[in-house]
Amino acid sequence: MHNYMMGLARIMAMIGGAVLTLLILLTCISIAGRLLNGVFHSDGIEAMMPQFADWMTAHVGPVNGDFELVEAGVAFAIFSFIPLCQITSGHAAVDVFANSFPPQANRILRMVTEIIFALVLVLIAWRLGAGTVSKFENGETSFLLEFPTWWAYGTSLVAAVVAAIVGIYMAAVRSIEALTGRILVQDGVETQS
Amino acid sequence: MSALEIGIWSFPVLMGLIFLRVPIGLAMFLVGLGGLVAVTGDTLVAFGRLKNETYSTFSSYSLSIIPMFFLMGQFATLGGMSTALFKAAEGFIGHRKGGVAMAAIGACAGFGAICGSSLATAATMGRVALPELKNYGYASGFSTATLAAGGTLGILIPPSVVLVIYAILTEQNIAKLFLAAFIPGLLAAIGYVIAISVYVRLFPESAGTREPIPWRERFALLIAVWPVLLVFGLVVGGIYAGWFTPTEGAAVGAMGTGLIALANGGLTRSTLTDSFLVTARSTAMIFFIVLGAAFYNGFLALTQVPQELANFVVAQGLSPWMVLALILVFYLFLGCLMDSLSMILLTIPIFYPVISAMDFGLVSLPAMQAEAAMEVLRNGVPEGMGAEMLVSIQDAIANGAELTREQMKELGIRVTQGIANRLETEYVAIWFGILTLIVVEVGLITPPVGMNLFVINAMDPKSRMVDTYKAVMFFVGSDLIRVVILVLFPVITLLPLMLLY
Repeated sequence: MHNYMMGLARIMAMIGGAVLTLLILLTCISIAGRLLNGVFHSDGIEAMMPQFADWMTAHVGPVNGDFELVEAGVAFAIFSFIPLCQITSGHAAVDVFANSFPPQANRILRMVTEIIFALVLVLIAWRLGAGTVSKFENGETSFLLEFPTWWAYGTSLVAAVVAAIVGIYMAAVRSIEALTGRILVQDGVETQS
Repeated sequence: MSALEIGIWSFPVLMGLIFLRVPIGLAMFLVGLGGLVAVTGDTLVAFGRLKNETYSTFSSYSLSIIPMFFLMGQFATLGGMSTALFKAAEGFIGHRKGGVAMAAIGACAGFGAICGSSLATAATMGRVALPELKNYGYASGFSTATLAAGGTLGILIPPSVVLVIYAILTEQNIAKLFLAAFIPGLLAAIGYVIAISVYVRLFPESAGTREPIPWRERFALLIAVWPVLLVFGLVVGGIYAGWFTPTEGAAVGAMGTGLIALANGGLTRSTLTDSFLVTARSTAMIFFIVLGAAFYNGFLALTQVPQELANFVVAQGLSPWMVLALILVFYLFLGCLMDSLSMILLTIPIFYPVISAMDFGLVSLPAMQAEAAMEVLRNGVPEGMGAEMLVSIQDAIANGAELTREQMKELGIRVTQGIANRLETEYVAIWFGILTLIVVEVGLITPPVGMNLFVINAMDPKSRMVDTYKAVMFFVGSDLIRVVILVLFPVITLLPLMLLY
């Protein structure tokens, strides 16, 4: 079970990383296009080879709507990064005080925290789903490329649902740990408690 | 309970949750959600906001700079640039007293120029420099402390993830903040080098010696640093030349370091996977805190706590310098418990309104007017200006008095109180941002939860935490001296801005 969930979280993170890489390439191509366009628009080239300059400025330029694609893509990437953070307990927390609690109290604390975390992730996915539906119904599109906004919401929703599933799984793991006192998933915190 | 009271009570509740080891982002999210429900008396508003708020927070164009900087740092690590930097620095200063440790600081500063995160800098340079320090007989605790302190340069020297967050929270220009961080970042590196030389004089047995190498070899090592200079020059130069925005600069940087890593053979399938996983984990962690903070701050703004607090502090009639000092000291203590980004996201929405309501007198209207007037007069007295008028203007400048509207009209300049105030607000925001950045970074190397200390200490099984704590106090001392200098002389931070904008 754990291997399966870990695999899921890693695959989501890899897809998110691939999307992020594509966005980086897209941004670089867009910058190069914009700068080259400026070069071909310059007086020198327009005076020397007007036709060539015209053709180049018409065909070389920034990627249309790169801004929108980056926004939609990075939202998906971040949603798909959450499952990995969840399953590896990567969230920042202050553990100076909790470290002095007895181990059993700490296990119960973690159980409660993880259950609430799972509920919050479910809430986020549910509300994002409602957001997707309302974007679908009002037919909103992006400004330049005019792709429906609900596409962007929908892809993020898929990742948010995976995050919720992983969150529920971790809540179950921490609950079993608290009830049985046996640590199932090590994340480095146990050794200190 | 009134909304204001709910807002005030939310703070102890939030701190309680955080100290019970509830993840900081989750705690802020929960308190924000609960507070919103309590204030509006219904879940309607809170749930309605959630429909769009998660997506709009994560799809922010300016925040997309953060995962790109993380990936850039990962690629920079793979490209062997950390080794090249360290070898070059070691070649030049390694034979001095404490020189290998100084070289580690220099290499951290260089690496900080292409990496926006402290932990990544500390971890990367730790891998390269720790074995070398050990080879030359440097004491364990001293070595780990040096690298932990050097790691903070990753975030002090731009690009810097924390500054990006600060810029977004306070609506300041990212490029200007990066520019303002340069001199304090360099001062930090110099301060650490001085701390090392003091330490090795007090404890001569803690550092070994190293033979100097010929100059020809030194320059050969220096040339190997070119990829770092190229990427840094391209990203920073491109941003200031106006070729691209800071976000686009991050994409260029990630691409550049990625290509170099590919060329050096550092980027393989398995290291690429690792880079993605590390980036994913840190990005998700930060964005969850950003989301929680957005929700909590939205709730706080609704209760008007920040404005009321600012009004309250102003009404106390405290000196602005006193308020600033109290805030910075508070950060030093909080930094012992919390990581820097969480602190910024948690406190800036509350402290920044207070600070921006204060008058530090960084900008003087007569001085600005005098400068503009001199600029005009240097090109000759404008046509049609009477001798009397000229004398009155010269008098005003000599006495440091404000120019009248009439005088400015004759000169053809327009420098009003409004313009001066706007500049003052911007200067204070940037200066306060840099000071905050430095004091929260001190938290990374102060016990008991200095993250950098843990990261480095974990790499060196033999070193005892106590030794690291002892040695790191010298670096903390140098940090504190630097903060005092920067507070007393705001011009050090603001000089590049004054010259360039």
